[in-house]
Order: sequence, then C-alpha cells, then structure tokens
Amino acid sequence: MTAIPAPTRVPAPRKGAGDHVANSSRRRSSPWVYIALTGGLVLMIGPFLWMVLGSLKPEADFLRTPPTFLPSTITTDNYGRLFDQLDFPRYFFNSAVIAFAVTAGTILFCPMLGYALAKLRWHGKGLIMGLVLATLMVPAGITLIPNFILMSNLGLVNTYPGLILPFLVGPFGVFLMRQFMYGVPNELLEAARMDGANEFRVFWSVVMPIATPVLATLAILTFLGSWNSFLYPFVMAQEPQMYTLPVALATFATGQYQADHGMLMAGSVLIVVPVLIVFVLFQRWITEGIATTGLKG
Amino acid sequence: MTVPALARRTSAEAAPAASAGRRWRWRDDLTGWAFAAPFVILFLVFLAFPIVVSFILSFTSFGLRDLQNPVGATFVGLQNYVDLLSDPKFWASLLNTVYFVVVGVPITLALGLLIANALNRGITRFRTVFRVGYYLPVITSIVAIAVVWRFLLNPDVGLINMLLASLGIKGPAWLADPALAMPSIIAMAVWRNLGFAMIVFLAGLQAIPASLYEAASIDGAGRGQSFRYVTLPMLRPTILFMTVITTIGYLQLFEEPFVMTGGGPLDRTLSVTMYMYQQGFTFFHQGYASAVAYVLFVIVAIVAFLQFKFLRSDA
Amino acid sequence: MALRPMREPGTAGLARTARYLAMLASVALLAAACGTNSGNASPGASTGPGSQAPAISPAAELSGTLTVWAMGNEGVQLKTLADGFMKENPGVKVNVTPVDWGQAVAKLQTAIAGKQTPDVSQMGTDMMGQFAATGALEPVPANFDPSTFFEGAWNTNVINGTVYGVPWYVETRLLYYRTDIAEKAGITAAPATWEDLTTMAKAMQDKGGAKWGISLGTKNWQEYLPFLWSNGGDVVDASGKFTLNSPAAVEALTYYDSFFKDKVSPSSVPEGFDITPAFVAGTNPMFFSGPWHMGLIDAAGGAGIKGKWAVAPMPKKVTATSFVGGSNVVVYKNSKNKDAAWAFVQYLSDPQTQVAWYGDVTDLPAVQSAWTDPALAGDANVTLFGEQLKDTKAQPATATWSELATALNSTLEKMTTAGMTPQAAADEMQAEAEKIGTGN
Repeated sequence: MTAIPAPTRVPAPRKGAGDHVANSSRRRSSPWVYIALTGGLVLMIGPFLWMVLGSLKPEADFLRTPPTFLPSTITTDNYGRLFDQLDFPRYFFNSAVIAFAVTAGTILFCPMLGYALAKLRWHGKGLIMGLVLATLMVPAGITLIPNFILMSNLGLVNTYPGLILPFLVGPFGVFLMRQFMYGVPNELLEAARMDGANEFRVFWSVVMPIATPVLATLAILTFLGSWNSFLYPFVMAQEPQMYTLPVALATFATGQYQADHGMLMAGSVLIVVPVLIVFVLFQRWITEGIATTGLKG
Repeated sequence: MTVPALARRTSAEAAPAASAGRRWRWRDDLTGWAFAAPFVILFLVFLAFPIVVSFILSFTSFGLRDLQNPVGATFVGLQNYVDLLSDPKFWASLLNTVYFVVVGVPITLALGLLIANALNRGITRFRTVFRVGYYLPVITSIVAIAVVWRFLLNPDVGLINMLLASLGIKGPAWLADPALAMPSIIAMAVWRNLGFAMIVFLAGLQAIPASLYEAASIDGAGRGQSFRYVTLPMLRPTILFMTVITTIGYLQLFEEPFVMTGGGPLDRTLSVTMYMYQQGFTFFHQGYASAVAYVLFVIVAIVAFLQFKFLRSDA
Repeated sequence: MALRPMREPGTAGLARTARYLAMLASVALLAAACGTNSGNASPGASTGPGSQAPAISPAAELSGTLTVWAMGNEGVQLKTLADGFMKENPGVKVNVTPVDWGQAVAKLQTAIAGKQTPDVSQMGTDMMGQFAATGALEPVPANFDPSTFFEGAWNTNVINGTVYGVPWYVETRLLYYRTDIAEKAGITAAPATWEDLTTMAKAMQDKGGAKWGISLGTKNWQEYLPFLWSNGGDVVDASGKFTLNSPAAVEALTYYDSFFKDKVSPSSVPEGFDITPAFVAGTNPMFFSGPWHMGLIDAAGGAGIKGKWAVAPMPKKVTATSFVGGSNVVVYKNSKNKDAAWAFVQYLSDPQTQVAWYGDVTDLPAVQSAWTDPALAGDANVTLFGEQLKDTKAQPATATWSELATALNSTLEKMTTAGMTPQAAADEMQAEAEKIGTGN
C-alpha cells in the first residue's frame, strides 16, 4: 500500500532556489529588488517587533513622549498582570480546547462527506452537494443571530458545545476533501473491498492515510481559523470563564484596560506567538495548501 | 466476515464508478448517508436552518423579550427594510464598507501581485524567507493585530508618529481623525492580507510556462512588456478569483473598526457588520439586525454570482 | 424550581436543618414575589420611594453558591468583600465574575436571554430602566429602608413604581483642576459660575502654559447633561415628553461647544486616551470626572502631584446640578438562592461594609450614615463630593436609555468635532429621541 503514490493535488515539495536556474541564468536579479523586498519585509515584521518590545516595557515607558523603540528596562510585569489580575491561562485553555475540538471534528466529518460525495452512490447526494456548496460564500454574520437564539433555547450559551458545534460545518472543508477524493484511484478502493473491507474500513485504512497531506493542510487552516475567530465567541461567551483569547483581548482593549498598552501588547503576544511558531514549523503545508486550493479556512 | 457476505459485497461493488446502469440498493443509500450524516446534521442545524431563520427574522420585530419564546415574535412585513432605507447610520455603514472594499481590494491585490512577481522572477535567493515573512500577518488574530496597530498609530506614544517626528514631521491623530481613520484601517488590512494574495499569485505565476517568457524576450519584450503581455493575461483567472474572494472577505469588515475605533470618529469607520452587531446585540433589535445582515448577504451573493459568470466565460 | 433541594457540593458538612430552613425561606420568597405582582404595581407612584416586596426573613444559616457579576474595577476588587461575607456565612460560596463595563449591557442582555443570569449583579444606574423592562429582576423586599440611602441614588431603582435594585455606591461629577497651573495663570479660587469656568480654562491655556485649558468629553452625555440641568433644562419634562431642543438646551449646548470652538478643549482624542497622565503632566489641567480619579491621580503622579490639584463643585448657572451615577445591586428572578442573594446585598449596603469598600476602591457610599466615618469626613475633596451629591440628577429610567445615550453621544460628537451648530445638534437630539421613544 505504501508503494502507491498519493494522488493529491498538493504539489510536490517545493523546489529549492537552485531549481530555477533556467530562469535566473537568463535574467540576473537586480539588487534593487532585494532592497525593496527587504524594505517591505521590515514593514511586515515591524509591528510584531513593536508588539513584543511593548510587552516587555515598564509602565513608565508608555507615558514618555516621544516614545522609545526599545524598553528602558526589560520587565515581565505586563505578563504578570495578565496572569494575576486577569485569568489569561483560562482564556488560553478555552481557545486551545475549542480549536482542538473544532479541528478534530473537521478533519473527521469533512473527509467523510467528501468521500461519500466523490466515491459513493446514494440518493440525495446531488442535493447535499448543492446545499453545501451554495453556502460557501455566505457571510458569517448572517447566522450569528439565529444561532444565538438557537443556542439560548438549547441552553448552550456559555458552554463549550455552544462554541464548538457551529464551527464544524464549514463548507470549505467539504469542498477541499471532495476535490481530493476525486483524485483517489478507484482501483485502490476496489482492492481493499476485494480483501473484504467494509466501506468504513476502506475509508479509514485506505483513504485517510493517503489523505494525510491534505488533512494536515485542512487541520492547520481550521485550527488557525478557530484560534483567531472573534465575533461568534464574543457573542456566545458571556462569562469570563468562557472567554477565548481574542474575546478577552478585545474586551479589555475596548474597556477598562484600554490605556494599559503594556498589558495589551503582552496579551497580543500570547495570541500571536503560538500561531507564529506553528506557522514557521508547518509553513510548507499552509502556504502550499492555500496556493493549491486558492482558499483560506 | 463470512464468505457469503464477502461474495455479496464483491458482486454489488464490482465497479462502482463504471456501472451506471446498476440498480440502486438501500445498502448504498445507507452507507452514503452514514458517511454524510455527521456533517449534514450539524450543517442543517447550525448553518442551513439559521440562514432560513435569519430571513424570516428580518420580517419580524424580534427583540429581547421574544427570546424566551421565539415563535411568538411579531411579523412586521417589510417594515425593517423600509426603515433601513431611511436610516442614515445604515447608509453610512454601507458607504464606509464600500469605501473599504473599493480602496482596499485593489491595493491588496496589486501589492500581492507585485511581491509575488518579484519573488518569482526578480530574485533567486532567500525566497522562503520573504515568502514566510510576507505571509506571517495572514495567520495572526485580527483582534491582536488591531490592538497592536491601534498602539502603533497612537498619536502620542505610537511608533509611526515617533518615526515621523524623527523626520521632523508632526504626525496626525490617525484613528481619531475622521478623514484618516478609514485609510488607517485600510493600511492595516492591506498589511495583513497582502501575503495571502501573494501566495496565491505565486502559485499562479509558477504555473506559467517559462517558454512563454523566453518567446517574449526573443521578440524583444522587456520586463514590463512581458509582465503586461504574458503574466497578466495568463494570470487573469487567478486575479479574478482573488478579487472576488478578497471582496467578499472585506465586505464583512468588523474586528478592525470594533477594536481600533469603535466605529468612530463620527461613524466614519462603522461597517455594516458592526452596525448589525450594534443593532442585534447592544440594542437587541434582532429583527432589524437580521435585515441588515440580509442586505449584506445579497451584496455578497451578487459578487459571488458575478464571479461564477466571469469565471465560466473566462476559464 | 425554588423547592428543589440544593445539591451544591460545598454544603456537605452542613446540618440537614439548614437546608430545610433555606427551603422554607425560598417558599416565603416565592409567596412574596407573587404578592408584588398582584398588588402594588401602581404606575403613578414613580415619585415616591416605590413599592417593595414584603420583607423576607432569611434562614438562620445560609448555604449554597452565589454567582455575582460586577463590572470594571469593582469586579476585580469585589472578591475582598465576598471573602468577608463568606466569613460571616461559612455555608455560602460566593463566586465573583468580573465583567467589563464596555460589554456589560450586551453580556447581561444575552445572559437574560439565554437564562444564564447570575444570582446577583452590579448594575449601572443608567441601565436600570432597560433591565427592569426585561422582567428578569426580582423586586426588592422591604428589608431595605429607602431613607438610609441618598434619595437620588434610591430613585434610580424605582421604575414605574416598583423597586428593582439597592444602591451600592454613588458617584457624581466634579471639576478636577491643577491648582499650581491655575495660580500661575493668576487664579486662586475655584470657578463658581459658568463664566468663571470659561475664564479659567482660557487662562490655564494662555497664561498657565498648559497645552489645553480643559478636557471636556467630545461624545459623552454624562458630561453634557449637568450643563443642561444647571441651565434649568432636562431630558424629559414632567409629562414624559422629550425636551432636548428647548431654549435652555440650546444655550447649554452653545456653552459646551464654546470650549471646542475656541480650541480650549481638544476636539480629537485618540481611542484609548487616558486623561490621568495628561493631567499629571499638566497638558490637560482641567476635566470633569467622578471620585475614582482621586486615587488614579495620586497613583499616577506619586509624591510629585501632592498638593497641586483639587476638586471643585459644578459651576453654577441657574443651578449647580451635577450628574449622579454609580451602581445598584440587583437580584435576578432566575436565581436559585435568593435568600443568600439578598443577604449578600444586605451585607453590601451595611454602613461598615460601605466604609470598607470606600477604603478598597474609593467608591462613595450610597448609605448616608457611612459618610460620618472619619475616612470620608476627614478628606476635604471627598467632602466636596458629598456636598455635590445634594444637588444631582440622573438620566430618565427609560427602557431605551442605552439607545438614547448612543444617539446623544453621536450628536455631541458631530457638534464638538465636526462643526454642527448647537441649534442643529439640539434638534437632531430631539428628533432622534422622539424616534427612539421611551419604550414604555
């Protein structure tokens, strides 16, 4: 089974710079392009640096005009306040629980439906396909109020299920998985069926393993989407013990801590840095997954 | 598994893709629906049903007191939509959102394309560093980024005015200035989203055969000409697709003004989604807010429809 | 629902009788609540202290869990009071949940809608009308005597004749000013009249060397209304009609706008602007605010600011009326532990607790007898707040107040930052208010 190449639409591992010799030998790259790109890169990275440095500044640095780029002394007070005065570990935990649950559900349910749509024959397939694809472009705001009313009546406001369930129905994942499943060779499935595997076994032991690359892309995009999502959890998490990180940060940034720049920067660091680490570790999956599908989660 | 079972299965599933004339069996339906059920049930409950409910709500005066008994809400016909027409705040929010889209989308895409092109044909080294660097903001939380940018743009203690001051320029009050607040938000949106455009364009550019460029350069085309006559035409479907995706995303502007300006100054950054939130969850006019949401939905649907029309004729 | 035996884990060690008593109390309470609904809802009684539910006699030993939501700094600090209450009532576990002020209305509204209310919550005086209309609040039992509280504060709880909350702390707005800069500008006395205030603000800027003369809110109804009231105007008249474009209102708006027109007050402040450091630095040497700024200024300025600032009463026109705000404490109908809830409210309004709370967060006591304590009476600035509290008004307790407030702020911003004339602003306020209505 391992000998069969994965029929994915994700392109082969990225070529190194050397592979473009044909292009580059023909056209020497100008140093000005490097300078311009580096300048742009500084603009892209600058705000992150400002954030990290800001989170390490003592309170007095924020009152100084003109301000300074570097902290006068490095302090972890800002983080201390996040943990002592506010319950940031709890918000971090909430964000993580929700993101993991949403991701787990998505990378199970979406390939299941994608498989059924691409490889199985059943009544209602066309209808479901049409319905799901029709919602691909629906703005998130449209379901906010009805879902809130629904959750209120189900008693799920302020609960993990209330914050997780509506995120398990992204049509993007189905779209992506269906596209992938079309590429899975039927012979492979047949071989497994011949060996006596039932449909779930075929799906689980044959299809899912070869789907690993595209599942990884879907998982990372889903995780990021959930980790960063704001409006829905903002409405659905009313008690601080259910806040996610973005909800907590937005609440404090527009409320009583709005002038506490140091603490707000520290809070931003807590949201952004884990994601940056995940990204740098898995950047290939993310950028290539997006480039192939042309969509984001 | 018993032998008869195996035999039955083998005959039934002989060539699932090819045997079009084969009789449908309830077992096939059962299997198909079993695979579909987990997603479809959640989908119907939390997405399809709410979309319908939202439409119905927009014809009611649904308010806080109706929450305990949602079916008892009062129908008001088209009243919400009629009120919207004469609601200056709604028009202001629509105008602001359109401003954000019309200015923000072209800048985002142009910069994304420019950088993608530079990465693809302008340089040979450090590609990954640039690619990752430009893409970083895309994956970060808008809320966190908005908080950081609000601080960057702070007229007294922010980085931008500090840099301007070192050049001898007295920086403006950015987010507090009615004329500059939306441009500031657009700048942030461009900064955050151009990496996404860049990645998609880069993939599109890499699919263009090098032979086309070679042919162009044999014909004496310079860098600018080969961009105009090779790159742009080849990339048209990607550009169109990105325009639609970005437009739909930008039409839903919410977090940036919510965190950075609260919709002010003078409602200049109040977006449609923000107005919906305000009506629905601050004043609890959820019927009215649903009408606001549906207007946005229709606008998005029109944009999506145009995409399909264009892409059909194009690709 | 109230009859269901309590199953909280923390009560395991308590005697069975305590639970029994708690159940009895619940029954009494249920009867009490029914009593109010049938009898006392006379709408005409809104000027009096309002009708209350019959007194309850709580169980000898309270038990169970209480969830209490409190906003802003109170939410952060309330744990200390909750600890004190739990020491007196070891059977009760109080969980304090801090809620941010900015989101308080939305969060409470959704909590009510989702039937996820706390047992007890703090409630801004400006939110009372809106929340009383939801039907989620429990009427106050007769255990609470209106005469022990400031009248203005008590009245914010009376909606259509029924009392829905108990005053917790009060605040009123006074003028903060830098005495050292004033002296430099040749002014030694606090401004007594509107004219004095204008003169002083200009002098602070011209002669005192300050960047601005005063910092008035560009979009803050709480800062505008005192000028409206002091000029003899009001938001609504006796018959409940809006009077936001009366001649008195236009005049008040004209006066308010003059500070922005003359560039004495900044017409643009960044989001998240903090007046405290600007006041300490001397760039913004005057502003109107509540008592909390006394502590903030001392904390931000340290020893360097001592003796360089003071507070002054609202300057007089027809009257010298300031805004009374603050917070009440309410109990929710959905609470499963109402006897403990009211006991907690009682604890909060105990004069001793009120003085202790003042010590913790400098929230001014709503209970009049607490003001004789040396902690308050010994401080000249605090005494001025006490004096001002005798001439204060609050916004009308309409269910639509949050919308009206948003509309007022929006129009104020147009006037102070975008050049809308005071007359046009008054007319727009009136038109918006009539469109929104009182919701009654």
